[in-house]
Amino acid sequence: MGRGYIVEDVVEKYLSNLSVPGASCVTGLLIGQSSSQRDFVVLAVRTPQKDTEGQGSPSVSRGAGNSLERLDVEWVTEHARQVSRMLPGGMSVIGVFLVTPPELSKEAQNTLRRLIFAVDKHISKGRLWSLTEEDVTEKVTLHICSKTRKVVCRTYDVRDPKSSAKPADWKYQSGVCTSWPLLTCSVGLNLVFPVLEMHVLPQDMEKCMKEGLQTWAKQIEDGLCLINGDAMPGEVELLGGQKKNAKAVQQTFRAQILIPMAEPQSERRLTASVKVCSGSLTLKGMVQCRAYLHSNKPRAKHATEVIKRDVINTVSSRVEMFLEDLLMEGEDKGSVGVQQVLPRRVFAPVPGMSLCVCDYMFPDECVSDVSDRLKEMLDWETPEDSIDTSQEAVPEAPTIDLKNTVVQKNLKAKSTLDARPKTPSEDPTEAHKSHKTYYAGVAMAAAIALLATGTSLIYLSD
Amino acid sequence: MVVGNIILRLRGSLEFKCQLDSTDVPHVQKVISRTFEALGSQVKAESLVLSLSSSPVFLWPNKGGHATAGEISPNRPCKDLQQLIQTDDQESSRKKSAKKDKNNPTAGIINLTLMTEVTEPGVLSAPTLLRGSKKHHLLQTTLPMDCVVSVLSSESISVVCGTLVGALCSQLGDMEKVALRHMKGTALLIPQPFHFLLPAPVGLVTVVYPAGVPDSQLETQRKELHSLFELPDDRPYLRRANALHFPDEPYKDGYLRNPHVHLNHPALENGKPYLVQGVYSYHHYMQDRVDDNGWGCAYRSLQTICSWFQQQGYVERAVPSHKEIQQALVEVGDKQGSFLGSRQWIGSIEVAAVLDQLLGVTSKIMFVSQGSELASKGRELANHFLSEGTPIMIGGGVLAHTILGVAWSETTGQIRYLILDPHYTGAEDLQVITDKGWCGWKGPEFWDQNAYYNLCLPQRPKTI
Repeated sequence: MGRGYIVEDVVEKYLSNLSVPGASCVTGLLIGQSSSQRDFVVLAVRTPQKDTEGQGSPSVSRGAGNSLERLDVEWVTEHARQVSRMLPGGMSVIGVFLVTPPELSKEAQNTLRRLIFAVDKHISKGRLWSLTEEDVTEKVTLHICSKTRKVVCRTYDVRDPKSSAKPADWKYQSGVCTSWPLLTCSVGLNLVFPVLEMHVLPQDMEKCMKEGLQTWAKQIEDGLCLINGDAMPGEVELLGGQKKNAKAVQQTFRAQILIPMAEPQSERRLTASVKVCSGSLTLKGMVQCRAYLHSNKPRAKHATEVIKRDVINTVSSRVEMFLEDLLMEGEDKGSVGVQQVLPRRVFAPVPGMSLCVCDYMFPDECVSDVSDRLKEMLDWETPEDSIDTSQEAVPEAPTIDLKNTVVQKNLKAKSTLDARPKTPSEDPTEAHKSHKTYYAGVAMAAAIALLATGTSLIYLSD
Repeated sequence: MVVGNIILRLRGSLEFKCQLDSTDVPHVQKVISRTFEALGSQVKAESLVLSLSSSPVFLWPNKGGHATAGEISPNRPCKDLQQLIQTDDQESSRKKSAKKDKNNPTAGIINLTLMTEVTEPGVLSAPTLLRGSKKHHLLQTTLPMDCVVSVLSSESISVVCGTLVGALCSQLGDMEKVALRHMKGTALLIPQPFHFLLPAPVGLVTVVYPAGVPDSQLETQRKELHSLFELPDDRPYLRRANALHFPDEPYKDGYLRNPHVHLNHPALENGKPYLVQGVYSYHHYMQDRVDDNGWGCAYRSLQTICSWFQQQGYVERAVPSHKEIQQALVEVGDKQGSFLGSRQWIGSIEVAAVLDQLLGVTSKIMFVSQGSELASKGRELANHFLSEGTPIMIGGGVLAHTILGVAWSETTGQIRYLILDPHYTGAEDLQVITDKGWCGWKGPEFWDQNAYYNLCLPQRPKTI
């Protein structure tokens, strides 16, 4: 007995409207959720153009011959990875589709198999949480014949490299995700990672952050999750109260995550550990998290899983993006000792559905950049005013650690302090003082006032 | 313990992390103090959560005692929390706690754990990354917080939460003092809290000691505390071994402690019981995989006595094995080398010699030429339990026993002896041991009326 995929009507529309000129092939991703009983597909997105010229899927070079052999698998997987970053918790890339002319239908299966394994491998890289026994590892492949529009749906268990194709049902339905419950929370971060050898190379920073984030991710994974203020046992049905044919309404649940304040010492230590460090990395701020559950009897344990995974993903995605950017732009020596803003999360509605996707905006970007990216990655138009940038506030102008000698040199070289882009504002909220510095040593810079609610800094000496 | 009070115990780990830019002492002390101060703020933050052990209840003490479970509102008395604790077997635990209550004042403890809510809204803006490039020493450890408060069971939850947070803050203060006092360079000894049940009116106190520093080096600190709490200066109350043992924490070594507390004491006309003071372990035949059935009774009685000195904090040495006991006797010249590995009996004199050799404890020897004379030793034995309170080893005829107490009437001369019998060969089953009289009250007819007996009465060293 194979899996059953319930697919949104809009996906059918999208797939049938795909322009597939001549003998070329089109690849794309299928986005949705898998549960133990049923699987849901809510979006289909074609692989974007590699270059702006030409038609058809750029993942295939033009010209005669077997275009499947020239399929750029790497490009497809990279697209999958970028799209994964744009999906809130619960939603993921659960399959790939391939449109081919009838003569390539037979080989299409092999290609799809290659693709789905490669895609899954690539999007799992750098993942900081682990799959559990209950996670569904079957992914779907969809083949569409460009002439007859016939659809062949198969699944592969991506955990088993030798797995063979299993037939699956592909059924279209309307309103698949209208009543998908939404979980939200905002998580505060205050993480300090020691750097044993201080280089400014992004690779070293990456290693250091990765290790630190791994520990933090484990804490989140093992933490307790309250839903709407209640510690429900895992087996409790989240949508228990709803009648079967009641009007489909999306419920929102507030999640709270509790973790022990510290892990107790495992060894029988008598003294505090001492490490000689040449620097440190401090990650501070608040991340907005969202996750969707399906409507097929979701249980509390699934809810806690999806929201926790979103928490972990959003932090690791932004750090990855920041480091990738650093690698591309080249290292800016003056940025040591200066607080740098990580990309912040913005949300955009999926057209025609009550779901949201997200994107990350770098400080020097604006809403139109987000809109462009959504068009490129997800192939739909988003009016700029529907993009919600208010969930994560912009931190105030980065302050400078005046104790840092590199920065001091830079400052001396500059004529005035007005080189700073914005003026920092006063500290508006007395009430939030208790949430600020965990390290009480705060040095007062001569001419620069300390920051507002946004970001707290750690000054390391007296 | 005050009746009508509830004890709440809050435990958890706090992360202690600080960066030392230099290692000169004033700087180090300043940074350490600042770090403790910051931890104090953390503990007062709204994101602090207390988890009620074995229940789905969580409390936010810095939000007025707000709780997860709907039926617990901050105005309710804290004794309501006890009803929410799920125990495995409700029935038997109620019976046990009824009996325990009269003997163990710390029964019915509410245990809580420290947690933090990462989703508590605080700093509101998107994350930033700061790269610091200063060379420094990173000091890192976790502080083992362990606070105990005793409150009226009618006190409201919100007030109790405030008391607990206050206890955490003051424990942080104590830990800071201990850390700074014992710090050497960048070596920070981890401060560890211990709870002690001191005689009335003091009651429950918590003292923080630095890890790794043996009791022998902490005498100054103990002297200060003895004077603060007005404790006598000739017996230990605040050594680590004297720490209060909570009823919900089973002893890991498997030996029974103080089986005699579960007995009913004989009611003698104008008489009262005089019992061993403090805690001992029951040592008997066949334990520790040593088959000493028939010859080891005096060795076992000696082990019971050693366990008393260890648990009252006089010695840090573990209870000696049969081998170690025999070795000690050879070392003092009491026995020849051939004694080692043998199954030879020992008597009170040997017991006293070993106590002296291994523990530095002196003993008085009492001799009775006939077992019948023991009936007249009521006063002497009572005085021993009053002043020394140590278990007595008695050997005579072909048997050795441990006397844990005496019930004696001055007017009628009636006497009973509380006996711990080392000849028991079974498992550590309290029910069997008390029911079958392996620990029990015996009359003067228990002794062989014609045999002579030697008693070893160990004396407490005068030390704190």
